[in-house]
Amino acid sequence: MYGTFTLSQSDKRPMYFQIMEQIKQRIMVGDWAEGQPIPSIRQLAVDLQVSVITVKRAYYELEREGVIVTQHGKGSHVASIPGLGARLREQELEQHLEQAARIAAQLGMPTKRLVERLREAGDRVAEKDKELI
Amino acid sequence: MNDLAFELSGVSKKYRYFTLEDIHLKLPRGQIMGLIGANGAGKSTTIRVLMGLVHQDSGEVRVLGHSMPAEQVAAKWDIGFASEDMRLYDSMTLDWHMSFMQSIYPNWDASYAQLLLKRFGLRVDQKMKGFSHGQRVKAALLLVLARKPQLLVLDEPTTGLDPVARHEILRELTGVMAEEGRSILFSSHNTQDVEQISDHITFIDRGRIIDSMDKETYLDRWRRLRLEVPLGIELPPLPGIVGVQRQGRLAVATSNAFVPDLAHAYEHTGVRVQSIESMTLEEIFVANVEHSREEVEA
Amino acid sequence: MRSSVIGHLILKDWRLNRLLISLSIGVGLIALVIAQYAGEVARVLGSVWFFVSLCILGSILPASAILNERKKQTLAFVMSLPVSSVQYTIAKALSTSAMFLVPWLTLLISALVFIEMRHAIPHGTIPMLLILAMLPLIAFCLISATALVGESEGWLVAASILCNSSYWFVWYLLARIPSLTANWTGPVAVWNSAAVIVLSAEVGSIAFIVGVTFFFQSRKRNFI
Repeated sequence: MYGTFTLSQSDKRPMYFQIMEQIKQRIMVGDWAEGQPIPSIRQLAVDLQVSVITVKRAYYELEREGVIVTQHGKGSHVASIPGLGARLREQELEQHLEQAARIAAQLGMPTKRLVERLREAGDRVAEKDKELI
Repeated sequence: MNDLAFELSGVSKKYRYFTLEDIHLKLPRGQIMGLIGANGAGKSTTIRVLMGLVHQDSGEVRVLGHSMPAEQVAAKWDIGFASEDMRLYDSMTLDWHMSFMQSIYPNWDASYAQLLLKRFGLRVDQKMKGFSHGQRVKAALLLVLARKPQLLVLDEPTTGLDPVARHEILRELTGVMAEEGRSILFSSHNTQDVEQISDHITFIDRGRIIDSMDKETYLDRWRRLRLEVPLGIELPPLPGIVGVQRQGRLAVATSNAFVPDLAHAYEHTGVRVQSIESMTLEEIFVANVEHSREEVEA
Repeated sequence: MRSSVIGHLILKDWRLNRLLISLSIGVGLIALVIAQYAGEVARVLGSVWFFVSLCILGSILPASAILNERKKQTLAFVMSLPVSSVQYTIAKALSTSAMFLVPWLTLLISALVFIEMRHAIPHGTIPMLLILAMLPLIAFCLISATALVGESEGWLVAASILCNSSYWFVWYLLARIPSLTANWTGPVAVWNSAAVIVLSAEVGSIAFIVGVTFFFQSRKRNFI
């Protein structure tokens, strides 16, 4: 149903966070549809060979963000919000943009220049995509 | 029905060159506890007291509701024990050992045993003396796993194993969690394994428990702060900071009770916080041991 | 549930010591044959050899069946089973004793039968025979007890040396009791007070050794 999540201990980010990421990934690309049931906490823990508490935390955080819903006794499922995948993608973009802004500030780069750089990056990406086709 | 897998209260045990002091430890049913400590810290002694193999000098031990060592026979029906220094019978085959266990324990799961044989890659008709270290460890684990006991007590189950064997064992240990109510206590000095599968972590050093709490809270509380200290400014001692290393203008502060206010507190004094990093369990363990040893000496 | 674990442990010990058991039975049978059919000299030699074998077996058995459990580090495995230290001791004592009693009883019964069937040896020797036959049994009990309680080869060796070097002295003492040797050559077995007292003392000493063993075993606080 979900293939294998790839969790890495050498990844700097905590395991529960990696699990959250990978669940969001599957929703973003559409592998996991809105409203679709997902493995129980215990089942996922067994399958990923991680502690139950870690999966519990991942599910808890995801529920707080409104990405999944857990019903007592009925298990968990992806939130039935149309366009959830797209919304998650938007959030990802926000994070990247904020990160870029932060680094730009550290470099002392004015916002105008940052916007230019963003435009240049967009052009580069478009070119690379053309080469691939 | 008791909801604790085990509970040690005020347990002490004195040996000639080593003392286990005032141990308080408990684990709710259905969870995995990882016990981390250096060699000689007291992991094996704690486990032996838990199993009733060694009688404590003071304090109470209850395992699955049974008082130890008085009710050890009743308790051991539901406990699966394997330790690093335990050996099986050299001249007998794995098959003989499996039949032996099967004849004693009524809830031996023969089909699961067969599955484990395949997964672990073990030969039943081979005598134990022909087994390599890793195969021996897996054989001992097979014998306890196939019984599906309520509590597994494992003393260093992954020590000295190659990565593949370790992976096989961790897979089975987490697999135990599929059944609610079953618990595991395992000791290790391999922090990676403990970090991966434990719900609850306990640090032991020099005969004392220095910390015991659930893993996620633990990982959340420990942080490493990389600081830039301008010349002429003294680093203020802040609550929750257990260690500071300084070289010139750069410093690294380790905290065991991190809250964002801590970073703000530094910034107020003119110190720049470059980054706040999570720590791996290994780093936490080392920092914690050093900190606790300093405290004891003080 | 409980007693069957003791049973399994006993069977386990017999299975593990299969070789030793076969050897001891084999030795017993061979010596029997020699004593029955060969000439006077061979008969005496056979009996002596048999007796010596019993003494040696009395040292080897405890070493192999009892001490090995600790030496080969299988004790932790056994104690992880649903048994207490006392139950373990019971199982060990029973299994090891059975292994010794087989050749010992073979000797005793065949000797009695021989005395009964052939008339070469007078019945007057029977009490003394019983008294002498008890000695390796007592030695075996003492050495086994030492192995169980002492837990080390040092203790076992000390006990073995003590027992094996004491036989001559004990025989000397026994031979000095006139009422025991008086009726030695008579046609009837005479159970006078001396014989009864000595035999009772022997049985009593075994009971004492067993009691002391269980006392110490049950009080051990660091069983492993």
